[in-house]
Amino acid sequence: MAVRTKAAPPPPPPLRRRRLLYRLRVLRHDPTAVLGLILVGVLAYLVVAPLVAVLSDAFRLQYGDEVHAGQQPGEWTGYYLWRVFRSQVSGLLFYEPLLNTLVVSLGTVLFALVVGGGMAWMVTRTNVPGRRWLAGALVVPYMLPSWTFSLAWLTLFKNDRAGGQVGVLQAQGIRTPDWLAYGPLPIVVTLGLHYYPFVFLLVGNALRRIDAQLEDSARILGAPRRVVVRRIVAPLMLPALSSAVLLVVGRVLGTFGTPYVLGLPADYRVLSTGLYQAIRDRSTGVASVLTAVIVIIGVLIVFCDARLLREHRRFVTVGGKGAMDRLSDLRTWRWPAFALGAVIFVVSVVVPVLTLLLSSLTRTPMDLSTLTLSYWFADSLPGAVGFPHGIFRGSELWTAAWNSLRIVGLASVICAVAGLLIGYVVVRGSAPRIAAFLRQVSFLPYLIPGIAFAAASLSLFAVARGPVPALYGTTFLLILVMAVTHLPYSSRSGIAAMTQLGRDPEEAAQIAGANWWQRMRRIVFPIQKGALVTGIVLPFISGLKELSIVVMLTTTGTELLTTLSIGLVDYGYTQLANAVVLVIALVSFTMTYLTQRLTKSSLASGLGG
Amino acid sequence: MCLLGPSGCGKTTTLRMIAGLEQPSAGTIAVGGRVLDSVEQGVYVPPEKRGMGLVFQSYALWPHLSVRENVEFGLRMRKVPAPERRSRAEAALKMVHVFDAMDRYPSQLSGGQQQRVALARMLAVDPEVLLLDEPLSNLDARLRLEMRAELKRIHEESGATIVFVTHDQLEALTMATHVAVMNQGELQQLAPPMEMYARPANRFVAEFVGSPAMAIVDAGPAPGGLAASLLAHVQGHDRPAAFGIRPEALHLGTPPPPGAWSGPATVEAVLPAGASWTVRLRVLDTELFAVTHTPVEAAPGDTVTCWTDQLHLFDAAGLRLPALDDVAARA
Repeated sequence: MAVRTKAAPPPPPPLRRRRLLYRLRVLRHDPTAVLGLILVGVLAYLVVAPLVAVLSDAFRLQYGDEVHAGQQPGEWTGYYLWRVFRSQVSGLLFYEPLLNTLVVSLGTVLFALVVGGGMAWMVTRTNVPGRRWLAGALVVPYMLPSWTFSLAWLTLFKNDRAGGQVGVLQAQGIRTPDWLAYGPLPIVVTLGLHYYPFVFLLVGNALRRIDAQLEDSARILGAPRRVVVRRIVAPLMLPALSSAVLLVVGRVLGTFGTPYVLGLPADYRVLSTGLYQAIRDRSTGVASVLTAVIVIIGVLIVFCDARLLREHRRFVTVGGKGAMDRLSDLRTWRWPAFALGAVIFVVSVVVPVLTLLLSSLTRTPMDLSTLTLSYWFADSLPGAVGFPHGIFRGSELWTAAWNSLRIVGLASVICAVAGLLIGYVVVRGSAPRIAAFLRQVSFLPYLIPGIAFAAASLSLFAVARGPVPALYGTTFLLILVMAVTHLPYSSRSGIAAMTQLGRDPEEAAQIAGANWWQRMRRIVFPIQKGALVTGIVLPFISGLKELSIVVMLTTTGTELLTTLSIGLVDYGYTQLANAVVLVIALVSFTMTYLTQRLTKSSLASGLGG
Repeated sequence: MCLLGPSGCGKTTTLRMIAGLEQPSAGTIAVGGRVLDSVEQGVYVPPEKRGMGLVFQSYALWPHLSVRENVEFGLRMRKVPAPERRSRAEAALKMVHVFDAMDRYPSQLSGGQQQRVALARMLAVDPEVLLLDEPLSNLDARLRLEMRAELKRIHEESGATIVFVTHDQLEALTMATHVAVMNQGELQQLAPPMEMYARPANRFVAEFVGSPAMAIVDAGPAPGGLAASLLAHVQGHDRPAAFGIRPEALHLGTPPPPGAWSGPATVEAVLPAGASWTVRLRVLDTELFAVTHTPVEAAPGDTVTCWTDQLHLFDAAGLRLPALDDVAARA
C-alpha cells in the first residue's frame, strides 16, 4: 500500500533541457567559446563603445554652440554635419584636408610599395650580396619615430617662412622653395621612408613562402617569365600586397606627427591634423564629425580587406614548410643592386640620424665650428627656460624613459597575448560570427587616428560609469588604450600564426591527456614563441614612438619620452628635441636588436611567425 | 576495426567524435560500456580524459619538442615518474623502430619516421583504444606495405583496440578484423572483411568493396539479354532488381558445376598481369570482366562458355536478397 501511495517518480527533464545540459558540459571543457565571448566583450567595451560615444557626440549639441545652432545642449542636431559638409568653412574644415589626405596616402603607399616591394624581391629572390645584412638594415627605419624624418628634413631644408632656426641649406645661402621645405612632397617622402619597411617585411615574408616549384611548374608548361609573374606570383602575392597597402593607408590616415611638423607651417592640413586643431579649438562637435568620417573610411577599408581575404583564403597556406628557395642570378647587376639597397639604407637611416646627431652637437645647425656637448651634458643652458640643462642632467629624461619602458612594455605584452588569443579563437572557435567580429574589430583601431581614439576613450572613461571608476590621468588608462590601438599588429600576426599552425598539434596534446591550460602553456605558446615575440616587439617599437595618444592621455605625472621631445619642439629647442628623439631611436633600436638576439627570432622573417 | 568509405563520407568525423574532438548532435557514444558522449543523458567526457590515442593524418608532431619529448608528453600528463617515463618512451620508440632518432626534432625526420613517432607517442601511454586517421596515406608504396605489417604486429602485441580510417579497401580488408563501410555519413555494413566481401549488404558495398569492382546487371525487360538469362536462372526465388557478379567469380573454360548459371561469351580482350589474367567478355548484350589465375588460352573473337555459382541478388531498394547459395544452404 505504502508503495502505491508514494508519488510517481519525477518525469525526466525534457529532451531540450538535457541537450542544453550536454552543450554546457562540452563548453565547460572547451574554454575557446568562453574565451571568445570574453574577448568579444572586452573589444566591444574598449573599441566599439568609445566609437559610439564619439558618434553620439557628433549628433548632440555641445555646450557653447547654443547661439549658433539655436538649440539646447544635449539635443539631437544636424548642425555639425552642416558645418563640416555644407557651410562656407567646410572647404577648409573638410574637403581640403580630405583631398590632401588622399594625396599623401597614395603617395606614401606608392613610395613604400616601390621601395619596400622592390627591396623585398631583391633580398628574398636574388643573389644580391649581403642579403642577410640588407634584410636587417632595411627594417631599421621602422624603428625610428616617424617624425625623426620630419625633424631631420626640417634641419636640412627649413626656410625662413616659419620662425626659428633655418635649415642647413638656407644657412648656406641656398633658398629652399616652400614646396621643398613644407607640404605634400616632404610629407610623402618622410612617411614613405618610415613605412617602406612594412611593405618590405610583409611582401618579403609572402615571397619567402611561395614555393619555387609553383613557378617552375608554370615555366615547364611553357609560360614565359613575364606570364609566370603575372599569373602565378602576383595572384599569390595579392593577399600580402593588399594587406600591406591597407596597413600603410590606415597608418597614414592616422599619422599625426609628420603632417604636424611639416604641414602646418604651410597651412597644409590633413584629416588628422585638422582633427587635432578642432579638438584644440574645443569644437568637440566638429571633431566628432571628422572622427566619424575617418572611422567610416576605416570601416570601409576593413570590409574591403575582409572581402579580399575571403576570396584569397583558399591559397593562403600555399607553400609552407617544404617551400624551396631559388634565387635569380643578377650576374653583373649584383653589386649595383647591393649599392641600391645600401643607398636606400643610407638615405633612410644614416642621413636622418647623422643630421639629428650633428644638429644636437652644434649651436648653429651642422656648423662644425660651433661643436658642443652642452645640449647633452651641460649643467645649465643659458636661454633655455623650460629645460635649462643638457638632456642627461636632471631627472626629466630618466623619469620619462622609465615611464616609457614600463607603460609601453606592459601594453605590448598585454597586446601580444591578446593577439595570440584572438588568433586562437578565430582559428579554433566554431562560431564564424565571433571570429569575424574579433578579426575586424581588433583591426579597427588601426584605421582610427590615435588622437581620435584617445579622445573617444577619454570621453568614455573620464567620468565614472557604473562600476568603472574615472580613469583619466591614470597609467592604467594609458596602458589600456595603447594596448588596444596596437592590437591590429598582434591580432593579425596571431591569426596568421594560428592559421599556419592549425588545430592538429593542440588536439594531439588534448588526446594525450593535457587539459586546456597545459595545452596553452606547453604546446601552443611555445610553438608560437616567434609570433609572440614579434607580437610584443612590433607594438613595443611603435608604442615607444607613439605621440598622439600619449599627448591626449598623459598628465604631468606621467611624462613619456615622446611627449618630452614634442614639448621641446614646441619650445623651439631644436637641438634638445633632436637629442631626445635620438635617445628614443636608440632605445627602440637596441630593444629590438636585443630581443632578436636573445630569442633567436628575426624581425625580418617575423611579422606573422 | 576499420572505417572504410569514399572521401567525404564522414569517416574522419566519426573518428573525431570517438576521440571527443567533435560533438554529436544526438545519440550516445560508449566504449566498453563506458558512456563518453550522450546528448540525451547530458554526459560528456572531454578528449583529455578519454585515455585514447589518436594518430593524425598530418601526424601533428610538436615541432618545438624532440622526438623523445614528443613521446614522453602523454606520460608527463599522466604524472608518470621520470625514470619510468624514459623507459616507456624508449620501449615505444623501439617498437616502431625509430629509437635511433630519439634526440632529433620532427623536422629532421622523414615522413615515414614522423608517422612512426606519431604512433609511438600514442603507444607510449598504452591506450585501450588507438585511433588512426588514414595512417598510411602519406607514405610511399613500399613503406606502406611495411607499416601495414607493423601495425598488425603492434595490434597483436599491445592488445589495444585499433580503429582506423581509410579509403583504401585493400588496407581495410588486409588489416581489419571488422570493417564498417560508410557512405554519405551513413553506415552501410559492419562485418568481418571476408564476410563483407562474400555477402555485401547492399549495392553500394558490393561495388565499393573488391577490386576490380563487382559488375551489376540491372534486371530490366530486355528479352534475350544477360538479365533475362539470369532471371530465368533464379526463377522460384524473390524476383531481384539487379544481379552482381564478381570478376573473380566468373569462370571460363571448365565445365560448369550443377546449379551454376552459365552462358555463351565472346572474348574481346585478354590482359595478362603476371599472376592473373583479366578477360573482357561480351556475354549476350553485356560486357563483363573475368579474373582468373589459370592461364587463358582463348584469343579475342573466340566464343567460350562462362559460368558462376556466386550470384549476388539485390532488390529494388538496392538491398541484398538471399543469394542462391544461402537458399541452398537453408534447404
